[in-house]
This record gives sequence, C-alpha cells and structure tokens, in this order.
Amino acid sequence: MEKKEIIVAVAGNPNVGKSTLFNVLTGKTVHVANWPGVTVELKQGVKKYRGKVIKFVDLPGAYGISASTMEELIAREFIVHGEPDVVLVLADSTAPERTLYLPIQILELTPKVVVALTKSDLTHKHGVHIYVDKLESILKVPVIPVSAIKGYGIRELLNAIIDVASGKKGRSNTLVVDYNGLEPFIKEVESYITKSKALSKYPSRWAAVRLLEGDSRLEELMEKAGEKDILDEVRKIRDSIKRSTGKDPSEIAITSRFNYVDSIVKETVVRAAGEQVSVSELLKLLGKAVVDQLERIFQHTVLGPIASLLLLFLMFLIIFTVNTGFPVNVLFDLLGFTELAEFVEAYSLAGLVELTFEIISSSISMLLEAQNVAPWIISLITDGIIAGIGAVLTFLPLIMFVSFFLAVLEDSGIAPRIAVAFNNIFVKFGLTGRAIYPYLISIGCNTPGILASRTSIEEEERMSIIGSASFVPCQARLVVILAFVTTYFKIPLYQAAAVISIYLMAFLVTLTTALFIRRVIFRKKEKPELILELPPIHKPSLKVVWWLTWSYSKHFLKKAGTIIFLVSVLTWFMINYGPTGPVDDISQSYGAIFGRLLSPFLTPFHINPETSWKVAYALINGFIAKECLVETIVLLEGGDIDVDEALLALGLTRVQTYSLLVFMTLYVPCLATLAVIYMESRSVKFTLGITVYIITVAYLISLIVYYILSLTTLYLIF
Amino acid sequence: MVLTLDKVPVGVKVKVVSVLGGYGIVNRLMQMGLTPGTIVEVVNNMGPIIVRVRGVTIALGRGMARKVIVERT
Ligand SMILES: Nc1nc2c(ncn2[C@@H]2O[C@H](COP(=O)(O)OP(=O)(O)O)[C@@H](O)[C@H]2O)c(=O)[nH]1
Repeated sequence: MEKKEIIVAVAGNPNVGKSTLFNVLTGKTVHVANWPGVTVELKQGVKKYRGKVIKFVDLPGAYGISASTMEELIAREFIVHGEPDVVLVLADSTAPERTLYLPIQILELTPKVVVALTKSDLTHKHGVHIYVDKLESILKVPVIPVSAIKGYGIRELLNAIIDVASGKKGRSNTLVVDYNGLEPFIKEVESYITKSKALSKYPSRWAAVRLLEGDSRLEELMEKAGEKDILDEVRKIRDSIKRSTGKDPSEIAITSRFNYVDSIVKETVVRAAGEQVSVSELLKLLGKAVVDQLERIFQHTVLGPIASLLLLFLMFLIIFTVNTGFPVNVLFDLLGFTELAEFVEAYSLAGLVELTFEIISSSISMLLEAQNVAPWIISLITDGIIAGIGAVLTFLPLIMFVSFFLAVLEDSGIAPRIAVAFNNIFVKFGLTGRAIYPYLISIGCNTPGILASRTSIEEEERMSIIGSASFVPCQARLVVILAFVTTYFKIPLYQAAAVISIYLMAFLVTLTTALFIRRVIFRKKEKPELILELPPIHKPSLKVVWWLTWSYSKHFLKKAGTIIFLVSVLTWFMINYGPTGPVDDISQSYGAIFGRLLSPFLTPFHINPETSWKVAYALINGFIAKECLVETIVLLEGGDIDVDEALLALGLTRVQTYSLLVFMTLYVPCLATLAVIYMESRSVKFTLGITVYIITVAYLISLIVYYILSLTTLYLIF
Repeated sequence: MVLTLDKVPVGVKVKVVSVLGGYGIVNRLMQMGLTPGTIVEVVNNMGPIIVRVRGVTIALGRGMARKVIVERT
C-alpha cells in the first residue's frame, strides 16, 4: 500500500544552496501554495520519478528549529503539522562544521530524514573531504553528496527519498543527543508533559528539551490548552538549572548539539591544512587574488561604502539608459550631440515598446473601422485594452534588468558585502546594513522590496523597513518623473538636476522615516545589530542568475500586470462615461467628478482650476498603480496624443511641476504595496497609520518645496 | 580583564567563552556556531567585525561583538 504521492519538506541554512537545488529538482513546476499547519505560503514544486509524484515544499532558510525567528518557526511547524513523508535537510559540504547542526536538530524531531551535502563540486577546491559512508552509518539516514550546479547526485537523492518514504531505508526512531548535565532534568520534564494534550503531536524527549530551552511557541500552545500548571513545573526546573549552573539551559543544549556535531565531523571530515590552491593553475590563483582584493575593498571603512555606491550607481545608470535613454541622452545633449541623444531615447527599450504599440493600436483601429465596428468598441480596444497591455510591457524590460543585476549581486556574494559596507551609515538611522536589500529591490518595485524585509532579524527593524520602503522611488515613479521632467524642463542639466534631487530627497525621507518608526513608534533607543553571513565571492552562475531574474520578473508581471491592465480599462470607462451614460465631453465624466472632489487640496499649489481636476484624478489612479499616472493624463487628453503634449496641456509652471513631482514620488504607495504592507505588518492600525503619515509627509514636503522655490531666487532658474 | 570579540586584532584566533545578551540574540549567535569552546578567527576589525567560525564567514555589528566573551588560545 505504498503511496503514490510523496511530500518532501526541504530545509537548510541560508546560503546552503537550497534555492538552487530546489530549482534543479523541480524545474519549472514551482508555484506557491497554502499548507495546513502554517499560516504563510510556501513554494512547492513537483518531480515525477519512478512512477511517484514527489512534491517538494521549500521551507524558509533557517539555522535551527528553535522557533527564535519566524523562519525557524515556519519550518518547524511544517515538519510537525504539514506531515511530510520525508524531510530533506541540506548541509553545505564546504562548511560541515556549522551546517550539520540543522540535520541533527531535525533528526531529534523526526527520523524520516535524507541529508544532502550541497556544493560537493567545491569540496576539492576548499580542501575538504567527507567520508560519506561513515557519516551515513553514524546518522543512520541516507547522506547524498550533490551538486546542483554540475547536476550530479540528483538521481541518487531521489532514490533515497523514495526509499526513506517507503521505509526501506533510514531510521525508525528519532536521534538522541547526549545533553550531559541536562539529562536528569529532561527525564523529569518528560514525565510532566506526558499529561499534556497540547504537546501530544511532538516527540516527548524533543518537547522536553525545547521547553527547558524556553520555547515560546510550545509555551503558548500549553497556555492556550489550559496547561499552565504543567508549564509552571517546567519553569521551576528551568530556573533551578539556571541557578545551579549559572547558565541558560538553551546555551547548554546548543553547545551539546554542537559538541555532537564536532564529534561527528572529527570522524568523517578531513580538512587540508590551509586553503588548498593548486599552484599549477595560475588562473585560479589570479581569481583568488581578485577575490581577496575585492574582499579587502568592501571591508574597508571608507572604500567599502564608496565602492558599493559606485557599483550601484553604475548599475542603475546602465539600467535606466537601456530602458529609457535617461540619463545618457541628457549627457549627449549637453555635449551637443543632439541627434545621438534622440537616437538613444528612440531606441531605448521603453521607446521601442511604445512605438510597437502605437503601430499595433493604429492598425487595429483601421481594421475595425473597415469592419464598421462601433466607435466605442474601437476606443475601448485601442485606448483601453491595448494601451493597458502596452503600459505593462513597457515595464517588463525595466523590471527584468533590475532583477538581473540584483541576481548577479546576490549570486556572486557581493550583495552581503555591500550590506556590511553600508552598515555604519545605516546604523545612524536605526537600521543595519541588511536593510540595503529591501531598499535596493524597492528601487525596482516596492512590493518585493517590502517582502525582502523578512531578512531582518529584529522585529523593530523589520517594521521600520516595511513602513519606510514605499518612499523609495520605484521604476514606475521614475517613468512619471521622466515624463514630466522632459516635458517641462528643456535644458538637460536641469532635467538631470530635477531627477537626482528628487531621488536624494526620497532616500532621505525613507531613512528618516525608518528612524522615526523605530524611535517614536517603537520607542527603541538601542541600535540594531548586524549579523550576516558572508558566503565566498565567486563568479555568478548563469543558471542561478536567470532563475532569480525570472522569478522576480514573473512576480511583477503577475501582480502589477493585472492591476495596470485593469486600471487602464477602468480609466477608459471613468472618462468615457458619466452619470448620464456615455459622454463626449470629458469634464462631464465620472473621472472629472472624482477629480473635482479632490482638487481643493491642490489649491495651495495655484494650479489652473481648469486642469487641476485632471491632476487630482491622475493622482487617484496613481494610487492604484503609479505607472498609471501618466497613462491617465494621456487618456484624459483624448488618448491619441503624445505624452509631452498631454502634459503640456495641463498648463503647469516649472515650479508647480517640480513640487507636484515631489508629491507624486512620495505620496501613497500603490494599492499592491499597501496590500503587502498590511500582509507583512499584519496590522490594520499600522497600515492605516503609515498611509496617513505618508500622505501628510508628501503633502507637507511638496508644499514647502513649492513655497521655497516660488519665493526665493531659485525661481529665476526655473 | 575580560576580553571581548571586538577587541581582538585581525588574524588572531580566539576561543569563545560565552555569549551575553537576550534570548533571541544568544540563540541566533550560538546556532550560527559561536558556542563556548569554538575557535574564532577575526578577519577584519573595521566597522562590523568579520570572523571565520566553523568554516563560515560572518559579519557582526560591534555592539554584538562586545557581547561575545573570548579568551586567547
Ligand atoms: N559551486 C556550487 N555552488 C552552488 C551550488 N549550489 C548553490 N551554489 C551557490 O551557493 C550560493 C547560495 O545558493 P542559494 O541556492 O541561493 O542558497 P539558499 O540561500 O540556500 O537558497 C549561490 O551563490 C549559488 O550559486 C552547487 O551545487 N555548486
């Protein structure tokens, strides 16, 4: 009665090579799904092998399963309540001394384990040799060396999984680690908790050790089940251990586990003295020299941040240029190469996509007209639907480029070095260098940026990032900024100055907000502390980079794609229909009605009352998705009109344009971002509070900018 | 005098004696391998401290490093 479907939970330390192996195992079948027992979505993928359907579930990377972080808790809950047939635990074969800890800890919880030794193609280079057979005989579960990059060991791994699932191989009982001085207390706690219903799902020895270590999750379960009396007994024992040894039981337990790891490593791992570099291979030596040099630069207090900034600056320069022509077009223009500047702009990806869609849209409308299709249908198809798809596709290359560069930084191991380099600056704003990840990703798109806040160890830091990251101008906002700036500022130098100053302002507001959230909302005075693993710098693998790029981009397409598309169609409806049905005059439409409701807020900017409702309505749409802002204005002006003509029709002054841009950059994040802020903070109060804060800050800053610019001599240069 | 990790010069190997601090942080550091008795080598000591421990390189904030008590080997 063997089951046809096998569920495999995949666990491992961060950087152990889990995503890479997961991709090799499951290929393109990956998607996220909800699982019983855990409240979050987990990635899963399927592999058909030997007539079985093996379903892999990717647990969050964690160092242990002590539930001291969210990742650890999620991983553990799934192992206990998700009822996997096998837990595949990864250990890094280049660092077995550290990474064998997790398999040991999981073996204490469940015997259904397969251990994979990842990156085994690197062992030779690192001078590590692991006696796999011996390791297998000690752990009594299959241990399989694999290389996801070179693709070996995969078949053996799948065989081992099937064998363990069917009970042909592996152990039948959990692993018993010797906890020395804790042993008598473990026995005592075990005798108490046999009565506990809350813990019935957990092996009793394991639960006893965990309780002695102070496991907040298990305690919570017991309290909920009304077993406070048992818990009190356990706490008494814990306190008495603390008093008699002067040590926290968790310290004793972790040390015992690592001692056990050490004893295993001693028997099964040989490390050649020093790093093994084969001198004959000159190239390798050269590579090592480059890596060492990079390492030294990034770790330097002054050079590190400078190198990081330069690298990021260069990266975004390339991305922006390829996508929009900016800022290289401006540079060429400055130098007098006007034609070249136009060329760069026209042949930027955004330019090309725009052109393609203009052609498609006009040929379809001609085709439909010839068929005598009703004009409103033609208008819906060309101005609504096709324009919507076009807007989505204009963004795809942008997102892919950002994703690509981020993937390279991540896979090469440069990203954590950048985090270290930024740490000294970020600490002043109540953040660690780790915060650079979410912010960097936010430059591409805020939504995945906010999701990346999960890398924070400390809850307050995580909330500071969640609340502040939406001030980072995403690429959608860059497009809005560029559209306005190139329309209203003719001199390239001013264009560049306007864009750069808005970015700098936004970054400053972001960091200040992070500090504000930490100090004022959480009243936390201490600085957060950095803990970050630095994997070796290496040449990025194309395969991995492509996977990462594609997974980021797919996320964008799915999320933003649908929203942008829907908003385009909705906008088309809002401006073509009014309370009286279809309208010819836009100023009678629903859109105009909404816009007029909000336009009083724009009065302090002295915007022409004739057009201010259009700006206001565009701002509403910008809330649904920022990229729709310019879209909306174009549609408001009739649809088949160039972006710059449409913007000029608003009749703004340059000072107004600039202050409005400041507002548009800072004000409410788009709907999707708000949804993620709520998802990650799990607090309606926080989400609403942050929204009000963001709007207020954006409004005040842009007003201040407007009045300063209007009143001072700065006015002259505008 | 107690020696803490942030005072250790570059290139020197020391042995962890204990880790101070709250439950979460102690747990985290220990699970990353900084258990009492473990040998740690300081690789860099400007800004965040960078150490090699159990075959892995880890960066620690200075405040964090101050909580790791070590002794010379
Ligand atoms: N040489 C080699 N490198 C690998 C292998 N698997 C992963 N890596 C690298 O190890 C790093 C971490 O891998 P990743 O899958 O992102 O780790 P995760 O954090 O566990 O998901 C990446 O830079 C990978 O390129 C492997 O089999 N061989």
